Amino acid sequence: MKTEAPQVAVEGVSLRYRLAKQRASSFKEYAIHWIKGSLIHVDLWALSDVSFEIARGERVAVIGRNGAGKSTLFKVLSRVLKPTQGRVAITGSVAPILELGTGFDPELTGWENIYLNALLLGHSRREVHERVDSIVDFSGLHDLIHSPIRNYSSGMVARLGFSIATAWQPDLLLLDEVLGVGDVSFLRKCKERLEQLREGGSTVLFVTHDPAAVEATSDRCLWLDHGRLVADGPTGHVLSRYLESSEHDARSL
Amino acid sequence: MPPPKPLLPYRDLLLELVRRELKVRYRRSTLGFLWTMLQPLLMMLVLSIVFSAIFRFDVENYAVYALSGILFWNFFSQSITSSMNSLRGNAPLLTKLPVPRVLFPLATVISGVINLLFALIPLFALFAATGHPPRWSLLFLPVSILIAALFTLGAGLFLSPLAVFFTDTVELVGVVLMLLMYLTPIFYPMSILPERFYWIVRFNPARSILEVFRDPIYFGKIPPLTHLSVALGVALVAFLVGLTTFRRAADKIPFYV
Repeated sequence: MKTEAPQVAVEGVSLRYRLAKQRASSFKEYAIHWIKGSLIHVDLWALSDVSFEIARGERVAVIGRNGAGKSTLFKVLSRVLKPTQGRVAITGSVAPILELGTGFDPELTGWENIYLNALLLGHSRREVHERVDSIVDFSGLHDLIHSPIRNYSSGMVARLGFSIATAWQPDLLLLDEVLGVGDVSFLRKCKERLEQLREGGSTVLFVTHDPAAVEATSDRCLWLDHGRLVADGPTGHVLSRYLESSEHDARSL
Repeated sequence: MPPPKPLLPYRDLLLELVRRELKVRYRRSTLGFLWTMLQPLLMMLVLSIVFSAIFRFDVENYAVYALSGILFWNFFSQSITSSMNSLRGNAPLLTKLPVPRVLFPLATVISGVINLLFALIPLFALFAATGHPPRWSLLFLPVSILIAALFTLGAGLFLSPLAVFFTDTVELVGVVLMLLMYLTPIFYPMSILPERFYWIVRFNPARSILEVFRDPIYFGKIPPLTHLSVALGVALVAFLVGLTTFRRAADKIPFYV
């Protein structure tokens, strides 16, 4: 029997942020600290020995408290940060929507930003030409599309970002805190689009703090705590354990 | 070292970055891109007054000699300075999107070349004004510009990650550039150099690049093979050293910008 390669394979991934205790960000300071022997680093392990595999077509939510390493994990998966240790293997194309308004120029119009953003995601100008109308349609921002993005509300920016990143069928879609900002009707559209992408074979990995969204859109849940993967399993099971522990912490405060 | 990221899918992004760079530069001043042409002319004028009227060295058609040097130097120093700022200036993108980082210094050097092409216009006007007939050798100029661009890109790739790790790189390089400017025969001829300084200028790598740039403009000749091979060698070494350094540093850049 032929086994299919997983969409995502993460093996023993650790990531260290090295923070200098004395800020030595210039040659001068560096030289002074080097002479005095006082170059001390503080190592912050944002991820420690994280391993998991995700099969093609899965919808996985990553949960955890602030600073648990969720965004760092996404940066590693989108190949922005190289892990200090371990290995990440991803088959196919990745479309990251990492943060609200990333890669948008507030002075440019929505239309111009569609081009800029899609180019940043590695698409060609011709590919954008083909999709730009459907992107505007999906975002529902027809009235504002030719005015600068600084006039948009944060929800509108998120809508545009989501519309651009999902205009192409990626093999892996990474959504970091994007679903929480749109209004209810747009959220419904997002869910429909995610469903379409999944039917088309896309794997979706997302971070959100909204338990309802986790419940509704994922089959499997990864729980990160202090950079470690503490639970990995069916959404209902992991989510209830996570909520329980959060409640417990809140009560003991 | 990681394998090189495929740049081909990002070619339209590269063009867009170049366009933005040019737009920013020309929006900043009211005279716009006229300034690109005027600035070297004015500098040439000042140098002409200072050096041919006061110091009086004997260079035939000094205006063309000086202007060709200034154009090269402006391209080189401005491109290096903006490459050093290119990574830091794009920090929000570098830390969030998997864009190949090499695009940013590359875009600044390409837009530098475009500026240089605009700045050539007054040079041709100067040819007409001084009765210096344009020669066929000018057709060789694109090759000289490519060599200069390769050299500059190498320096930019070497320095831009350094500017991320150490914030005072820009100031330090500014001083080095100033020193290098005086060690390059931009506004003086090699012949005025005293014996004991001659070798320093002779072995300045920027001099060999300038030579190949100036040969077709001022001397009206295609650079001889000796000049050409040295310049090409210098440019290739600079490029390879720059690229190697950059690729070694590339993974650390998002942690420091």
